[in-house]
Amino acid sequence: MSLELVDFQILAAALFCLGLYGVLARRSAVMVLMAVELMLNAVNINLIAFSAFRPVSSMITGQVIVIFVITVAAAEVGLALAVIMRLYRRRGTVNVDEIDLMKG
Amino acid sequence: MNVDFSLLIPEFILAGAGFLVLLVDLLVPKAQEHRRNVVTAATAVLGLAVTGIVAIATQIDTGERLYDGLLFIDRYALLFKVLFAGIGIAVIVMSVDYVADKMRHPGEYYALIVFAVLGATLMAESGELLTAFISIELLSFSLYVLVGLSRGDARTAEASAKYILLGAISTAIMLYGISQLFGALGTTRFTEMGPLLTGAGGWNLTLITGFVMFVAGLGFKLSMVPFHMWAPDVYEGAPTPITALIATLSKAAAIALLLRFLAEAGSGSVNEWRMPLAVLAAATMIIGSLSALPQTNIKRLLAYSSIAQIGFILVGIVPNTVIGANAVLLHVIGYAFTNLAAFTVVVVIELKLGKESVADFAGLSKRAPVLAMIMTGALFSLAGLPIFAGFLTKFYLFTSAVDKSLEWLVVIAVATSVISLYYYIRVIREMYITETEDGSKLPVPLLLAGLAWVMFAGTIAVGTYPQPFVDATNAAATVLTPWIGL
Repeated sequence: MSLELVDFQILAAALFCLGLYGVLARRSAVMVLMAVELMLNAVNINLIAFSAFRPVSSMITGQVIVIFVITVAAAEVGLALAVIMRLYRRRGTVNVDEIDLMKG
Repeated sequence: MNVDFSLLIPEFILAGAGFLVLLVDLLVPKAQEHRRNVVTAATAVLGLAVTGIVAIATQIDTGERLYDGLLFIDRYALLFKVLFAGIGIAVIVMSVDYVADKMRHPGEYYALIVFAVLGATLMAESGELLTAFISIELLSFSLYVLVGLSRGDARTAEASAKYILLGAISTAIMLYGISQLFGALGTTRFTEMGPLLTGAGGWNLTLITGFVMFVAGLGFKLSMVPFHMWAPDVYEGAPTPITALIATLSKAAAIALLLRFLAEAGSGSVNEWRMPLAVLAAATMIIGSLSALPQTNIKRLLAYSSIAQIGFILVGIVPNTVIGANAVLLHVIGYAFTNLAAFTVVVVIELKLGKESVADFAGLSKRAPVLAMIMTGALFSLAGLPIFAGFLTKFYLFTSAVDKSLEWLVVIAVATSVISLYYYIRVIREMYITETEDGSKLPVPLLLAGLAWVMFAGTIAVGTYPQPFVDATNAAATVLTPWIGL
């Protein structure tokens, strides 16, 4: 049995939904961030699979996008962790349910 | 392949100006706080002004595609380039007194504003999904930091955390959309996607999820319902000049990208997305207007009002015509003037009174009559009353929707405009009718008074003598004609 494109698509979609569930269900801001990473990795699997099963001419585009996604994701995590750290110093919590000074 | 680097000179200047601000910040001794603030602000303003002038001088007749269609250097991009440089200058001028009062790092602050303008400019130019994504991130990262830069207020840390977490989720959703679009079509260039997206025949699950998720990611940046939840909290918690930056720059950039994407890639399948987008536009207007009613904080009120404004702008995007695009561009210009005028007044109130609730505007007509007048003008313009920008631009937007027999959408738009008048008038009533014990005159900083006057004049100019603005938006909208009908 050989793997088809659709198998990778399902894997990516499943991973993405798992990440989305984590985003919605997790209470710690750090865990939410990790769930977002999961979603981004689903994107990478998707792109690599599409590139591999495509004619050679457009293959490179998908792989280039993956490189950019990895870079941007790393920068995003760095920035987000710094912001969360600042929040922790100020409020003593990173629980997203308790971050509720502003409402309405 | 066109790799004429001279076309990118405005962007090079902008990037250089950002780094120059950081360098200047290092050169001025740490002890001279005030001088450091003024010098870095002046450098940033100079960089933005030079960018705008160079862009107008060299690119008025260009219609080039760089790097095989990755970037479009055309009249459409030029309009936004100049608009964004102007917004950047206005926000920096608005910030000088604010930064002196509340910030510790003027250099980083102004440099990040310049980088945000660069990201927004690239968004308006990009003609390809990855380029669009990178530009969005450049703009967003700058804003994430700017929102959390103020010291003292506990709300800023919370606002920036909410902004970056929700922003990261929207990024992931948009990227998944990009990957699906690439997988289904094998290309990421808008113009090459266009022919492949024609008619419903070729639409499969991959393509639909891709299209929807990409637009949803942009919808987050626009604070389009149902992706608007972050806006009020971020608006309230952010330093007020940065709230103005988010309300004008980031919204206008997302509009620029969405309009170009839907025109160049989506025109062939307009019948598929017109109805869903029209429904979202209606929901955005209704929820934005109704949620603004009970607000007591002026920044939250303006946040919900800007959500409603995005709904109005979508009314012009839905028809997918040149007339509609023209109206959208004109509304974005008028909206930028109006919002910057309103936020300048809010900055003065916040600096002088230390608070920014609607009740703090009580008796403003006696304490600072000019400010009260400018705020009234800005609110009337947001509500869409004549002689101010909002009336004319909304009129154009609604006409363009009627052309495509979307009368029901226009009815909702007019009804929500009337509702919005109610909460705008509440602020005006505070300023003119409510009496206060403290009737002392408010000293208005010269710089902020000047800025408020300029923005107020712009609001009236767009509303009464729109010809120069219409000429500019016409030339910009015409760029889209190969793809969309009149």
